[in-house]
Amino acid sequence: MISIKNLTISFSGKKAVDGISLQLEPGEILGLVGESGSGKSVTALTLMGLLASEGVMETGEIDFNGQILLKAGVKPDQKLLRSYRGDHMSMIFQEPMTSLNPTMKIGPQIDEQLLLHAKNDFKDAAERKKRVLETLEGVGLRDVEKVYDSYPHQLSGGMRQRAMIAMAVILHPDLIIADEPTTALDVTIQNQIVKLLKDIRDRENNSMIFITHDLNLARRICTRLAVMKDGKIVEMGPTEDIFTKPQTDYAKKLIAAVPGRKKSVAVDSAENESDKNVENKSESKADKKIVGEAGGTKKSPILTVNDLSVFYNERSNKIFGKTVHKCVVEHASFEIYPGETLGLVGESGCGKSSLCKAILGINKDITGSVKSATVRPQMVFQDPYSSLNPSKSIGWLLEEPLRAEDMIEKSIKYTKEMRREMAIDMLRRVGLDEYYYDRMPHQLSGGQRQRVSIGQALITKPSLIFADEPVSALDVTIQDQVLELLESLQEEYGLAYLFISHDINVIYRVSDRIMVMKKGQILEIGDKDQLFDNPQHPYTKELLAES
Amino acid sequence: MKVFNNGKAPDRKLNIYLIVGAVMTGLVLIWAVVGIFWTPYSTTQMSASLRFHAPTWSHPFGTDNFGRDIFSRVMKAVGTSAIISILVVAISAVLGILLGAITGYFGGIVDAVVMRVVDAVNGFPSILLALVIISLLGKGRQNVVLALGMAFTPSFVRIVRGEFIRLRDADYIVRARLMGVNKPRILFVHILPNIFSTFWVSVMIGFNNAILAESGLSYLGIGVQAPDATLGSMLSDAQGYLAKSPWFALAPGLTIVWTVLGAAMLSEGIGKLKK
Repeated sequence: MISIKNLTISFSGKKAVDGISLQLEPGEILGLVGESGSGKSVTALTLMGLLASEGVMETGEIDFNGQILLKAGVKPDQKLLRSYRGDHMSMIFQEPMTSLNPTMKIGPQIDEQLLLHAKNDFKDAAERKKRVLETLEGVGLRDVEKVYDSYPHQLSGGMRQRAMIAMAVILHPDLIIADEPTTALDVTIQNQIVKLLKDIRDRENNSMIFITHDLNLARRICTRLAVMKDGKIVEMGPTEDIFTKPQTDYAKKLIAAVPGRKKSVAVDSAENESDKNVENKSESKADKKIVGEAGGTKKSPILTVNDLSVFYNERSNKIFGKTVHKCVVEHASFEIYPGETLGLVGESGCGKSSLCKAILGINKDITGSVKSATVRPQMVFQDPYSSLNPSKSIGWLLEEPLRAEDMIEKSIKYTKEMRREMAIDMLRRVGLDEYYYDRMPHQLSGGQRQRVSIGQALITKPSLIFADEPVSALDVTIQDQVLELLESLQEEYGLAYLFISHDINVIYRVSDRIMVMKKGQILEIGDKDQLFDNPQHPYTKELLAES
Repeated sequence: MKVFNNGKAPDRKLNIYLIVGAVMTGLVLIWAVVGIFWTPYSTTQMSASLRFHAPTWSHPFGTDNFGRDIFSRVMKAVGTSAIISILVVAISAVLGILLGAITGYFGGIVDAVVMRVVDAVNGFPSILLALVIISLLGKGRQNVVLALGMAFTPSFVRIVRGEFIRLRDADYIVRARLMGVNKPRILFVHILPNIFSTFWVSVMIGFNNAILAESGLSYLGIGVQAPDATLGSMLSDAQGYLAKSPWFALAPGLTIVWTVLGAAMLSEGIGKLKK
């Protein structure tokens, strides 16, 4: 139905897409996977005829149902492209908040598609509205009349993405391009959206190109995968084939880097163990905790959180509105033991980060108690681009914690040479070379920055580190490297981590014990295997269903 | 598009604003610095026989109503105006950084009080405010600097405060707090360098406004007093003879335009540089 032949696109001489060819049949979901910068989005945008003006199509042609849409060297026919967009192909973007017009109500925004492309089929506004409402229902929205009259900011992220999808499917296009459509969403919502896209495909038999960096996700939805690297398709084939027997080295590396339970092996051994446990113990919940403790370490906890509630003031939008004292974390109690990793999993807004910040003393509006056996636990943040001061060199950043320590203790424990030595030593430990000492943060890649971040947190040798989604912003292979680094440093220094993530697979990989949080409450704490094999809370079950 | 914008290959376009701005400002500065130490003729020596001469080779900008060489007087005036403006900007920038950093970072009651005062000051046009202050303090060079410095502070406070609010919750600042870095160091070592690109642009704009404001005050006759010249006071002197000898007004007027334009282009260039 759609074929791309030998497509090459370059930006100021640099090839972003390098000679790719692919065909797509009706009803097929093709996954374009690869790391950022591999040319996935450029391919999709070109297909839509939305290539940025700096981009040059050097070779190739795009053929849509026998009609040549784009051809290298031929000026694109904008009128033709416009008639194809919407009618025959449409696109779903990553961030529904920025791709919906914030000043327009949802209904009229979707209605615009009909006005522009199918004016003749719908004689009057009432008819069009009926169609929009039907489509909104079709994407699983309830109370569609209300949604029709809502502005984007009045809807939740999942609802906005559904509205986006409604806009994309209202004209029954033959091809839907979804560019990371669930990346900005929470896991449970993500699942619903994936299911919705599949349902739509089943219903309308249109083909989809699904762009993602998340291989687990691609495995769930795509029928065929194309693995991209540096603008080339390195491997293409049915999804399961690629996952079970990848041919190329890069695909192997990529598959191997996917965090997840090696179900066949890991689960078996875990089952055996828990069987033994069942024999030994009467399974009361209180006992479980002691089992976890005794099985791991007998040390006293490095951090004890007792009945901690965290509040913040929310000011209402009214002029004379009162500020509301809102509780974001309710009665949290847990311990962290030396050398262990406690995984904290939950959706965005569940209070993970608030809990973290309260323990670290950034948020002071709390009740309950936090007892820490270590001085100044450090934190590694999610976004490698905002966690390093852009105006300072890497060396300066690594030395700053030492300077700060000296200033607090009013001592001169570290001389200039010592600081430099320690910083360079730390650079090596986090897997960077000495010459990064004089670099500036903007000269480093995301993974490298995250390494510097970790180094900065480690240099004062804390025994506890809080890691708030430390790998969520990174590509899979980089993610794998950073997780490995965290693990090896843990062994080396006997570190304890509080590891926060929304990604259940990452949590499974790193954690010894796991804590599940929802809406400010800790639902469940348990040993990793115990929790995975025998989740108590329905929400935990829901979360695990996706892994 | 995140795909292309990986920060590795920034667009190296020729920054024409920066070059032209730097050249124009540079020329004015050289002219002004030379003028402080040496001028072709005395700037105060009057001569009845030389009144209202049109530009000639020996007097390139002509002479004024007292027979003084306009070229020499403009040279001297540029220096005086530039020094006053630089001092004005320095005073208001330093005050602006201090107040803006404290109000922006800490917020709360200090912020509320300081910002209401700033709002009140901002409510008056800066020239009017300077007029009020000068009428309280009296005429003279120092008082012009002081008055304009105070009048210009609010805009700097606003800019600095906004930047500090933007950056105070940045991850790297939160991390600095976790490391136990003390507050002054966070304010002035961790945050301040990150606002310089924005700040320099406003400094250059402030410099321009100061030149214009100083000229305005001198034009009104309450700035620097005769026989010392500033660009504004020369314009003021020249206005009675516009028809008779237009070059009298043209020379200081064009110099103001040149200086302000140069500084404006320079600030534009700096702004583009950091993006």
